[in-house]
Amino acid sequence: MRTLLALTICLELVASTVAPLGKYTAVERRHWAFQPRSNPILPKFESPADKRFVRNPIDAFVLARLHKAEVAPSAPASKEVLVRRVYFDLTGLPPTPQQVQAYVNDKRPDAWSRLIHQLLDSPHYGERWGQHWLDVVRFAETDGFEYDTHRTEAYRYRDYVIRAFQNDKPYDRFLTEQLAGDEIAPQEQESVIAAGFNRLGPLRKNAGNQEVASSRNEVLTEMTNAVGAALLGVTLGCARCHDHKFDPIRQSDYYRMQAYFASTLENDFPLTSREDRTTWEATIKPIDAKIKKMQGEMAKSDPVTQEAIGKQIAELESAKPPPPPTLYSVKNDMAKASPMHLLARGDYAAKGDSVGMRPMGIMLPEGTAEDKDLQQPRARLAGWVTSKENPLTARVMVNRIWQYHFGQGLVVTANDFGRMGGRPSHPELLDFLANEFVESGYSVKHIHKLILSSSTWMQASDTKNVKAATDDPENKLLWKFSRRRLSAEELRDSMLMVSGNLNLKQGGPSVIVPIEKELLSALYNPTQWKVTPDNNEHKRRSIYLMVKRNLHLPMMEVFDAPDGLVSCARRESSTHAPQALELLNGTFSNEQAEALAAKLAKSSGGKPEKMVDQAYQLVAGRLPSIKERLVAIEFARTATPHEFALAMLNLSAFIYVN
Amino acid sequence: MSEHIRYTRNRREFLGDAFCGFGALAYGALEAQAATNPLAPKLPHHAAKAKSVIFLFMAGGPSHMETFDPKPLLNQLHGQKRPAEFGEAKYQFVTSEAKLLGTKRSFKKYGKSGIEVSDLLPHTAECVDDLAIVRSCHGDMVVHSAAQYQLMTGRIIPGFPSMGSWTVYGLGTESNSLPAYCVLPDPHGALEAGQPMYLNGFLPAVYQPTTMRPGNKPVLNLGLPQGVQIEERTKTIKYLKAMNQAAFAGEDNELEARITAYDLAFKMQMEAPEVFDISKEDEKTKEMYGIGKEPTDDYGRRCLLARRLVEKGVRFVCVTSGGGPGNLQWDAHDDIEENHLRMAKQTDQPVAALLKDLKRCGLLDQTLVLWGGEFGRSPESQGNKGRDHHNLGFSMWMAGGGIKGGTIVGATDAIGLKAIEKPYHFRDIHTTVLNQMGLNQHALSYMHLGRKERLTEIEGMVIKEIV
Repeated sequence: MRTLLALTICLELVASTVAPLGKYTAVERRHWAFQPRSNPILPKFESPADKRFVRNPIDAFVLARLHKAEVAPSAPASKEVLVRRVYFDLTGLPPTPQQVQAYVNDKRPDAWSRLIHQLLDSPHYGERWGQHWLDVVRFAETDGFEYDTHRTEAYRYRDYVIRAFQNDKPYDRFLTEQLAGDEIAPQEQESVIAAGFNRLGPLRKNAGNQEVASSRNEVLTEMTNAVGAALLGVTLGCARCHDHKFDPIRQSDYYRMQAYFASTLENDFPLTSREDRTTWEATIKPIDAKIKKMQGEMAKSDPVTQEAIGKQIAELESAKPPPPPTLYSVKNDMAKASPMHLLARGDYAAKGDSVGMRPMGIMLPEGTAEDKDLQQPRARLAGWVTSKENPLTARVMVNRIWQYHFGQGLVVTANDFGRMGGRPSHPELLDFLANEFVESGYSVKHIHKLILSSSTWMQASDTKNVKAATDDPENKLLWKFSRRRLSAEELRDSMLMVSGNLNLKQGGPSVIVPIEKELLSALYNPTQWKVTPDNNEHKRRSIYLMVKRNLHLPMMEVFDAPDGLVSCARRESSTHAPQALELLNGTFSNEQAEALAAKLAKSSGGKPEKMVDQAYQLVAGRLPSIKERLVAIEFARTATPHEFALAMLNLSAFIYVN
Repeated sequence: MSEHIRYTRNRREFLGDAFCGFGALAYGALEAQAATNPLAPKLPHHAAKAKSVIFLFMAGGPSHMETFDPKPLLNQLHGQKRPAEFGEAKYQFVTSEAKLLGTKRSFKKYGKSGIEVSDLLPHTAECVDDLAIVRSCHGDMVVHSAAQYQLMTGRIIPGFPSMGSWTVYGLGTESNSLPAYCVLPDPHGALEAGQPMYLNGFLPAVYQPTTMRPGNKPVLNLGLPQGVQIEERTKTIKYLKAMNQAAFAGEDNELEARITAYDLAFKMQMEAPEVFDISKEDEKTKEMYGIGKEPTDDYGRRCLLARRLVEKGVRFVCVTSGGGPGNLQWDAHDDIEENHLRMAKQTDQPVAALLKDLKRCGLLDQTLVLWGGEFGRSPESQGNKGRDHHNLGFSMWMAGGGIKGGTIVGATDAIGLKAIEKPYHFRDIHTTVLNQMGLNQHALSYMHLGRKERLTEIEGMVIKEIV
């Protein structure tokens, strides 16, 4: 198998190397992802059962594929299951028992569609779907590396993303603003904030001798790679050191794409006057000098003195006034543009031929010339990325949307549509959705509505189908809905919500929550962790928590939240003992259990039967089964309210979405 | 679904000669365990020499010229500029004007092998016949954070899985009551590269390290919350399991796995504290590690804990020396004598004790011990007594786990500037570590963003002189 695979790759490589330099072979040109979108013909069905299943074109494409495999789709899930599923799907929060009841009792024929619209309009929709985008663009609010300096203004980009999804900003506009907001609308704060996208990567700084050229090269690498992985779904980054080993991306393509960023420099656009800045700098300077001196003393003293000095430094740090507000973004400076060359092995010192701006050659006619003398180079790049003819952009985004609804994309490798990536399981469906996306004016919400009103999405997850389970254990054919574990953020937010603690405030500077002293010692500079003073802030949704590259909250870490260092195309979903320890023994879960226990005691009047029913309705969105109720009542009778509540927050029925 | 690439065709064949009791376990049993416990032991790619790794990480960069790489010429050239014939080097702080700095250490031959070790490490020197010293190590970066990332993960940027995570991904663990991969940081504070260097990167969270800290609660969330009694909690877990089982009928690997995770967590909670508790070790052992006296107490405790962990089947342990501000690491910018004498006194006796103790317990043969930092130090002086970072030539050593003791490999030039004979990069260290664990650098891979990622970005070599 392995040998066969290797052989195939070798043959294809041979095929691609016979082309003259810069040109593309027929094999390369034929790769599916680079083809224009097709206009797939909608499969037709005759039998009443099939007709019932096909509620919209999505179902037709899915059913056709299932028929071919001789696998039957699943029956629809119950209303109770669907309402919980769609709340998590669109808002990342569980429905309240009242919300479940409201839908279950809604007998109007368009009840489902009303619910979808209501949730798409809910302010929490943007928070949920904004998080997906933040994963893809490796959003974090510190530099990473040794200093891990805080980017105190980066939260504006997070809020921008949430707003963009909330308002269904056309996706082409969304990408254009992120790539080139400072060029196309320098007077609009929104666009300038969006262009902060180009500055999201980790940033290495060091003391002593500076390697200016090497550092600049690292910055440009981050900008370029993000475009490949996040926007185009191609592993452009692989061509930094040499021609791509598997995809038709030449090293020249890489540096030509990078050339669009040659004049892009980091810039903080001040929101206040110059005097404000000067005054602030003058206030800070003596404090910083003092801290530096104390740090020097600290290194030479004994542990007790060290702790004392550490405390003093922390006090000085927290007494510092915050810097005057700015917009964390970029701007062009043509005079300072970095000269662009091919770099052998990606080494900044090994300069090869000089190159200019041009998009990836495989998507252009042979011999397309480089762009010259552009005043708005990134706007030009954005124009190419978002052109209706670009075969990748729309496909990549609808595939991401699909993935976040179903747990896996039609192309399983959401950041890689190349030859090493997955082939689409339903190519016609992918093109149908991409066409819909473009024709709707790049409306993300339009795609949500299509998906959520399909029978495909509404299938039950607990279907017993031996043939299907044997032939397609990964459910690529979509013969059922795949049960999924809550993400780290959903889990934390839901625990806050069911315990009644959740603070639904939106937007603004990020919150720093208190953490164990032992965790702080994992920071090279522990004074950076300045806990937000207002306790109510600590109970906000996870998307508003500070994302620090060098310190991840244990709750986030054990449940596979991404590290913000590289683009995360799809969350892992691990199951391991430290998760159980976190949920059983962790401070956060025990605090929520305490609140939930009090809430249940109050509403049930301490009656075990009532408490069990109410608890299940809160955490699982349904009443317990007979079997569950028997066990749970026995437990509730003998357990402390705290332990009972804690167990409820550990139930699989809570942690999973059916 | 794991994308771990293996030579499946040979999987059964390996059973026969695979190491460490794998052979005794039926193939089917391994498969069944793996379905609900992702950390169940997995077969290596080839017969393994070692089943555990202990990395004695000397953070900040210990000097090779003061430890394992005697350079008489350096003392002769003390106070002069580097002769041109040695070539160029880039440093973080010192400039081309810097003068060479001779060493105050003296070297002596030890053991049957007669390998020279400096008087900075008299205890380690006694174990020299167990060590394979690689005098020709080199890396790409001269600043801490990037060099630490490269040492731990093979990349100069954060976000990639560490050696420990890769090892556990490849082999699982043989202990179901202890974390598979443990990091024992220096209580003085964190390092420049911070948490990300030890982490699992893009690998699933199941391969993340568990950090153990000094004090009564070494592992976060392992102890019960305040006020909760064990009887009470035992009941909670029993009912939680019953409620979870009541919720699904029939086979479901994922929900089964979650129940297993709670069982494992409980087992860990009950059994791990006993392993962490070193008070039951006999006095002689504690004395050997220098426990109960300064300055060896802390590192001694952590080395002893490392032995107890690998004894119970923990796969990878990192025992870090150095943390917090630079001078509390091996980062001797100001005064090489003051810094290195202090750091060596804290670690030398515990390190030697660990080697002797592993040997005594019969564990050294199956435990690979690796010693070293993210770089060495400059032959030139910084200020007039210190040494800057230096990545072009420095020493690391390995012992146990099938490594040929009493060996020296490679050499730096006459002033310790560059590795000139058989230079070995971090990737070669990585390849060798994997090799001893029965893992192949190419086979141990994971698809990420369109690339089959592995620990060694560029192919490494097994350091064949020492295996």
